[in-house]
Parts: sequence; structure tokens; C-alpha cells
Amino acid sequence: MEGSDTYLIRPNHQYKFKPAIVKQCIREIVRERLSGMQYDPEEVPELSRSLAECIKDKVKNAGFDRYKLVVQVVIGEQRGQGVKMSSRSLWDADTDNYAEDVFMNDSLFCLVAVFGSYYY
Amino acid sequence: MHRDKKLTKEDTWRPADLRRHIREEGHTDDNVRRRDDSEKKRRGGESVERRRRDPEKESRRERDKPREITRERRDEDEKDRNSDRRKEGSRDRRGDKEKDDREKRMEREKLADGKRHDDDYKRRDGEDKHGREKDKERHRDKEKERERDTEGRSEEDRDKRRDEREKERRREERDREHRTERERRRHEEGGGGERDRMGKHEREKRERHKEEYEGKRSDKERRERHGDRTHLEVKDEREHKEEQRRHKEEREKRHRARGHHDEKRTHDSESREHRGLKGSGEEVRRHRGDSEPAERDKHKERRQREEGEPERNHPRDGTSSKKPASDKSLKRETKTEVSVPDYEEDFEEMDESANEGEDASEPQHPEVGEEREELSAQKRKEIEAIQRAMDEENERVGTAQSRQTPSREEEETPKWSKGSEKNQSRGSQRGKFIDFVAAKQREVSKKVSTKQKKRSTELLRLIDLDFSITVSLLDLPPVNEYEMYIRAFGTENTKQAYVQCNEDNADRDVQTEEIEVCEKWTQHPPEHNGACGDPNLSHEARNQSEMSFDSQRLTAFLRSASQVMVVLLEEDRAERKSLRKLRSQTDTPSFSDGSLQLNTNLSFLYGRRISLVHFSQVQRHTMMSVHRPTTKPSAVRLDSCTIICIWNIWEPSRPQKVLVYESEVQCCCFSPGKAILVFAGTSVGSVVLWDLRERATDHYRLKIGDNEWTFRQPTFSTDAVMAGSSHFSSVTSVEVVPSTAPGGLRPEVPLLASEEESSGLSFQLASLDEMGLLNFWVVVQLPKANEAGSPTDLGLRPGGKVKLLHSSRLLTAERVSLRDAAITGPLQTLLLKFLPTDSNHFFIGTNMGLVNHETSHGLKAPPKFYRFQEAGVRPIDVTSIHFSPFRQHLFLVGCGDGSIRLHEVSHEHPVAQWSSGMAGDPVVSLQWVQTRPTVFCVLDAASTLHIWDLLKSDAEPVVTERMESDRVTAMAVFGDSGQQNTYSGIALAHESGKIEMQYFTRAFTVAVAAEEEKLERMATEAF
Repeated sequence: MEGSDTYLIRPNHQYKFKPAIVKQCIREIVRERLSGMQYDPEEVPELSRSLAECIKDKVKNAGFDRYKLVVQVVIGEQRGQGVKMSSRSLWDADTDNYAEDVFMNDSLFCLVAVFGSYYY
Repeated sequence: MHRDKKLTKEDTWRPADLRRHIREEGHTDDNVRRRDDSEKKRRGGESVERRRRDPEKESRRERDKPREITRERRDEDEKDRNSDRRKEGSRDRRGDKEKDDREKRMEREKLADGKRHDDDYKRRDGEDKHGREKDKERHRDKEKERERDTEGRSEEDRDKRRDEREKERRREERDREHRTERERRRHEEGGGGERDRMGKHEREKRERHKEEYEGKRSDKERRERHGDRTHLEVKDEREHKEEQRRHKEEREKRHRARGHHDEKRTHDSESREHRGLKGSGEEVRRHRGDSEPAERDKHKERRQREEGEPERNHPRDGTSSKKPASDKSLKRETKTEVSVPDYEEDFEEMDESANEGEDASEPQHPEVGEEREELSAQKRKEIEAIQRAMDEENERVGTAQSRQTPSREEEETPKWSKGSEKNQSRGSQRGKFIDFVAAKQREVSKKVSTKQKKRSTELLRLIDLDFSITVSLLDLPPVNEYEMYIRAFGTENTKQAYVQCNEDNADRDVQTEEIEVCEKWTQHPPEHNGACGDPNLSHEARNQSEMSFDSQRLTAFLRSASQVMVVLLEEDRAERKSLRKLRSQTDTPSFSDGSLQLNTNLSFLYGRRISLVHFSQVQRHTMMSVHRPTTKPSAVRLDSCTIICIWNIWEPSRPQKVLVYESEVQCCCFSPGKAILVFAGTSVGSVVLWDLRERATDHYRLKIGDNEWTFRQPTFSTDAVMAGSSHFSSVTSVEVVPSTAPGGLRPEVPLLASEEESSGLSFQLASLDEMGLLNFWVVVQLPKANEAGSPTDLGLRPGGKVKLLHSSRLLTAERVSLRDAAITGPLQTLLLKFLPTDSNHFFIGTNMGLVNHETSHGLKAPPKFYRFQEAGVRPIDVTSIHFSPFRQHLFLVGCGDGSIRLHEVSHEHPVAQWSSGMAGDPVVSLQWVQTRPTVFCVLDAASTLHIWDLLKSDAEPVVTERMESDRVTAMAVFGDSGQQNTYSGIALAHESGKIEMQYFTRAFTVAVAAEEEKLERMATEAF
């Protein structure tokens, strides 16, 4: 513990946060859970929470070592309104990354953003 | 949160109280321990034991007490005030309700106190001491029972309080052992100079003494109350005591938050209680062996207080107020952490109170002391269990060192375990915990935090955090109105879409237009309207015109029509003949049967002298007249030009064609066969030809008077274009080389048009100049005319179809001149005639009076030349040679001296020679008559016409007609030798330009038998 300071500043490439993989995870789960779903304001909060948990677990299993994950799930009803979402972050662009995917059907849209922040 | 903050600030406030509490707790702890050893003993002589131990301390305290009481009190006040003031801010935050409650209570107390406020309670103490003690003893049993009841009730509260205290203490230990210690010391030092020198323990002892003193005092008061009055009084007394303290604190308390008031109050009561305990201890010591009353007293007092409190406050308030109180007591305990020696004592008190609590639980089921003993056995088990739980708890605390125990957790932890913790904390483990574990925890946490900090700083040096650009996660544009409409009202699941199809219908544009090419040509000078044109168009137009022209039908028509015309003309001529006869009576020559005058009264012919008159050999009615250039100015700009007129003698009113040439024409001839071509030799040495088939529109047209005349330029000219092969002197004779058919060309054989066309163009032309140069030309007809002119045949007129190709050249004059050149000068060749039966032989008339006999190829044929009868060469021009149309080996030669010779081809000498017949005038022209073999006409320069008939007389002419008035310049005999008709005659060109056709009389036209024999006879007779 007290030896020379050796920090693992960069994740090994194979453990690096790969947006494509994460996006695939998101897509699978969201498709499975939301396809054919109607927007119901009563159950959406719980749904989004469970979705976030589900996605988080799945991404955790994807083997991104030493990554802290933040999963944001936004589900909204689609009534022809315009929606704009954006994110901004202070991070190390070399290690940290994010993946997002949007699912839409006739009655709702669902945006899932997963941010992976590397823990040095 | 509040509490934490408060606690940190409270660290230093009222150290005396803190110390007191700690000590009390120590006592209770001791008590518990002792009781563990012997339950029985405790039951019976708990106070005794305590007393046994206490006296030493007490005595020590007692010793110090008198000296320090006043000062301590003062110190206390000041300290409290200071600390309270410090706490004001936080206390104010306490709920208003609590404050209200508290104020109410305080007021009540004040009222109660009001009675005995004036009393000096110390004095009272002193006075009532003994009586009170007695009373106390008296009521002891009763009170004890009562106390138990109340204890039972208050026990829970106390336990709770204790738990919280324990917890708080632990936390405080962790947080600020040293700091509180230091602060307290500082305050104490500020309080009195003496204490500065004193040790920590001493200071604490002093505090304890003070507490003891207070406890004693309260005891005294209580005793007094017991002695004199009822519970109420006791309560009042207690309140009075509180009041005293409140007097000290009131100023600050007013500003304090409710919770703190409560704390303080409850704490006060507690401390009072403890004090009471201590006091009882003191009492015991004072009253020797009477420990029970003290304890009872204490119980009583507590009970009274407990009873009193519910009266004054809502029960809820009481409980709630107790909790914070415990905080304070805990804090005070923490301050004693350093004071290890007193530690146990402090916890004795606490333990005691705990025991009391335990004890108090018994009275809940109202029982007597015996029963309590049994219960205590149970308790012991419980305590053991609690101790075990405490061990666990400590371990847990030891592990989770850096963690701050949240207040919620305190409440959640079981009460009993808390209580037991408190008990245990008194042990050695606890000491360690306080001194080192917490420190170590801090140390560790500090280390950890510094390590984290260091790590973070080092990492931040290595890492670049960048403020990433804003990432757009979702951009869902609003649906436009139309789609909303469709979604709302339109058919579902349909969407209007527009597709552009027919993609292969591409359009291609070319910017540049196709260049239209049109071929045009032009010719300078613009002699006719064909000077410019379009080759394709004109060709088509020509084709069209030709298409409409059926030559066979036309010729058929013409033949039939011509017969009709001939009949008509004959009628007309007959009529005219009658007229002529009348006129000839006066004027016509003797030989003439009639005459016809051609209309030469044309403006362009005016003043021109006719040099030549020539009839076509085949078309006998076709005649041409050569008009020399005139020096007189005329209306037409053709003065310097020779004009050739082509006449049809049946149509005398106007010439058929008018040909124009720039220089003087010396000789001319028609083409063989049909007279479609005219050849001419000029004085400038060129050979020209006219194609009479050319259309009139292709030529220069001039309107003179009412008539429009077409002046035809030569179709082909050798002018300058064939300089190497052409003539260099004037051309004296042009002759068509006769067909080489051995049978001889029968002129009377009619040729079909097609045959004429084909054969007519396959003939040769010979031209002879003065220098004896004979040129042969091949006449070639081009298959197609070129309107724009030929770039190679520069002599060809644009649009012309006939041209001459130079075939060969012969020099004929040399041989003759060799012999006589010195005498006679340069030989001139003047005439050229071909033997009609054999084109290989040709005869050239020279200026030496000789006619040379030449052949164009092959061996020379004898005789070499034909000469006069008398020997020698005379410079006499041969002016005319003419072969007899009936005996073609006979020919006449006219000479310049007026002599006429008749030659036979095979002989050098003439058959006959007539010199005398003439007057010496040179012969101009000499011709056989076509219809009679023995008649020939001779025109001499004196304009005298001689007609010879050899049958009648071979010595002199039959008719000699001299025309003085209008001199005859040229003469030509016409008539068809094949047709023995009367239409033969002689054309006479007069000086005035008139052309007169004289028809021979019947005597000259009708052949007589034996005429040819006469000629034969003459020939044979001559040789």
C-alpha cells in the first residue's frame, strides 16, 4: 500500500468503455421491455427505474473494469411535441465516455444514456 | 446535526456540571460492579459500602470545600454565562413550543419560590438539619415505597437518557477529547489564578467538591422540606434550589433554545439527584451508619421530582426534555476522560442511577424489598447479557472508528445494550477506547484523507479533465401541423408520400447548333445568270428540265412537223420566186433562178465585213458567216470581236446562233455529222470551239431592240492554256479529220441522232498555222458539265462539256522550203485539206504555188507535191483547194495569180491549167457545184464570179458575172449532191454585209449524163 505510487490512469483497452457495446445492451433491453408499450403515467416512473437498474446490471456485466456507471432513463409521452435533451460533462475524454440510445414508438419515446466514468 | 454543532460548542460550557455528572456516573458504575459481586450485600449495605469508600473522598472534598465554595460558585456562574452566551445562537433555534413550556414552568416555579425566596436556605439548613433528618427517617419507609413507584415510572426515561448519554459520550470522546479538555482548562485558568497551578485532577476534585456542596445543600433543603412540609414543599424546595441555579443562568437561559433549557433543567434535576445521592453519602458519613435514610431521601427526592415534573409538564415534554439532558451529562462525562483516576467514581454514579433505574422497574409491580432481591438475581443475568452486548458493541465501535454515529442509529440501538455499554465503558477497555482508539481512528481517518488528497493531487497532474462539448442526446422535432392533422383526422397508418418517377426521361441539350453547309460557287466575270449557283440545286433543276424533254418523241414530232413546214416553205418560196423573177428581170445574174437574202440587217452586224461563208457538209441548210471586227463604232460593245452567225437558210430572217470571239477568226469549220460544234482558228494562234447545244441562258444575253440576243463565248479555247503545244502564229486552216472508214464517208448517209452523238465526238481535229505546224486534237465530250468550272481544264468554260485534247503535232513546211528557201523566202502554209477517202493523206497549199502531199503517218505517198505545168517555183499563194464531190481523187487549186489547176491525186502535174480565163485577179474562192460534176464556180478578187462547165467548154467559163455595185467578198456553194433537186445555189456575201442566196438555174443543177466520163476522159487524156 505504501509502495511507489502506481496509478492505472488508462484502462486496458479490452476493459475500456465501449459505447457500441453499451448501446447494444441498451437497445436490447429497451426493445424487449418497451416494444408495444403504451405510455402510462402511473407506471412509467417505476418502469424507468427498473429499466435503469436493468441496464446498469447488464452494462456492469459487460466487463468495463473500474468504471463507475451512471444510467439515465427518460421516458416521455409522444404527442408531437418537440423535445431536446443534451448533456454536458467534465471528464477525462480519454477514458470516460457515454452511450445513448433512443427508442420510440407511437405513444412514447425513451432515451437511455449511460455514462461511464473511469475510477483511477 | 444541531446536536453535533451544539455539542462542539457545549464542550466548554459548564465544566463543573460535566465533571459532576461524570463523577456521579462513576459512582453508579462502581455501585453496579459492587453489586455484581454481592447482590445481597448491596441490598442490605449498599450505602455502607459506598460510605466505606466515600468517606475518604468526602473528607478530602470536605477539606477543600470551605475554601473554594464561594469562588467556585462564582466561577461556575461566569463559566456558565460564557458558555451559555456562546450557545445562544444555536439554542435559539429550538422550537418555540418547548420554550413556551419551559417559561411557563419557570414562572410557576418563581411563584412557588416567592415565599421562601427571602429565606436564607443555608441558614435554614443549619436550623432544621436535625429535625429534618428525623423526619426523613420517619417517613423513610413510606417514601421509599413511593420512590419506587416513581422510580419505576421514571426508570424508562432515565434509561433512555442513559443510553443517549452513553452514545453521546462515545461520540464526543471520538470527536473532541483533547479540545474539550483544553477548553475547560482554559476556562478554569481564566476563573482563578490559583487553579492554574493546580493539576487537572485537583481541578476536577474541586469541581466535585462544589457539586458535593451543592448536593449537600440540596440535601439540607430537602431535609428541611421533609421535616417541615409536605411533598409539595419538598418539590418547592427543589425548585427553589433550581431557582438558585436559574438565578445564575436565567439571564443566559432566556436566550437559549428550548431544548437546551430542558436539557439543563433535567440535567439540573439529575445532577441534583446525583448530588442528592452524594449528599446522602455525606449524610451517611455525617450521621454515621445512617446511609439508608440518605438513599431513601434521595429516592424520595427523585420521586418527588418525578411526580412534580409530570405535574408541571406534559409527560411528553418531560421525556423529550430528558433526552437532551442526557446529552449534556454525556458531555460532561467526556470532559472527564482525561481524568482517569476519577473516572471510575464518575461512572459509579452513573451506574448507580442505572441501578436505580433497574430497581425502579421493580416497583412497577408493587412489591417489597424481598422481591426485589429475587429480581436483582434476574437482573444480574440481564446485566451479564448486557455486558456481553457491550463487548460486542465496543468491538463494533472499535472497528468503525472513523464513522460518526448518526443520531438515528442511537435511537435504534436497543436501550439495554446502551445501558450496558455505559456500564462497560467504565472498564479498562473503555479507557483504551477513549484514549487511543479514538485517537487512532482520527489518525487513521486523517491519514486516509491525506492519502486521498495526495492521490487526487497526483492524479490530477496526470489527467486532463476536459469540459466536453455539449452532447445532444435527443432532438425530437415537433410534429408539423399537417402530420398532426393526418394523425388526428386522417386515415390511420397512411402517409402521403410523393415520388418522382419516370427517371429515365432525361433530357439532353446541346448548346451548339449543327452547322449547315451549303455549297455555292461563283464565276467572274458574271456573264450570265449562271455566274453563281448551287451545284446540287442546278443539277437537279437541269435534270428536271431534261426529264421533261423526251428527245425521241421530239424528233418524231419534229420530223413530221418539218415536212409540213417544208411544204409551207415551198409554197412560200414559190410565191417569192415569182416575185424574184419579176425583180431578176432587171437585176439578177444570168445563172440565177432566184435569190434569197438573209437578214443581216442587225445592229451588231452593222459595218462588218464577211470574211467567210461556210456550209455544213452534212446539214446542208446550215451555214455560218464570219463577220470581221469592225472599226466603226456601233451600238453594241462587240466591235473588237469577231462574230460568227449560224444560219438556217430556210429561216433567213435571223441567225440561229451568234458566236463571239475576242480576236479575228481566220478559218472555221463544222463538226462532222450534225452541226453541233463549231471550230475556229484564230489570228492569235488559238483553236476555239463552240458547243451549239449549250443553252442560251448560260450565256451573255443582250437585248437589242425588240429582240434578245445570246452571244455565245467559246466553250473551249486553247488560248494560253496549252502554250507548249499550241500554235505560235495565226492559224490558217482548221479541218476535221475525216473518218478513217476505208469505204469513204458518204455524206448522204443519214446518221441517227444517237449515232451522230456517239460518233461525232470520236473524231480528230487538225489545225495548221502559217509556220507549217500541224496539230491534231482529239475532241472529247465530258460526261457531266461542271457549272463551277473545272480546276484542271482552264480552257473549258464553266458548264462546258466539250474540250480538246492535244494529240500530236507535225511540222510540215520544212521539206518544201529546203530547196527554195533562198529564192522565195520563208514558206507559208496557207491551206489544209484532207483526202476525203483517206484521212491519212492531207494536202497543204503553200505560198509557192505548190500543194504539198503529206501523210499523217506511214510512208510518204507520191507525188510529194503538185505544181504548175511549167517548171519552176513561183511565189504564188494557193488560195483555194477543193475536191470534187463526185471524183474524189480530182481537186481544183486556185492560185493568187488567177490561174486554176485541176489535179489528179496521183500525178504531180495538173490535168488541166487555165490561166487565161481570168483577168489576173487572184482567186478568192473556188468550189465545185454539188449537183453537177463538171461545173464549178470561181470568185476572184475583182468581184467577178466565173462559172465553168467543162462539159460545154474546157477552155473558158460558161458564165462570167461581174458585180460592181456591191462587191462580193465571199462565196459558198450550197446544194445537196445526193438529192438531185433544184435547191442548190450559191451564197454570196457582199461588201455591204448582205448575204444573198442565188439559186442556180436548172441548167446548172440538173446533172447531165456523161459528165463524169468527161472528167475521166480529161484525166486520162492529160496523162
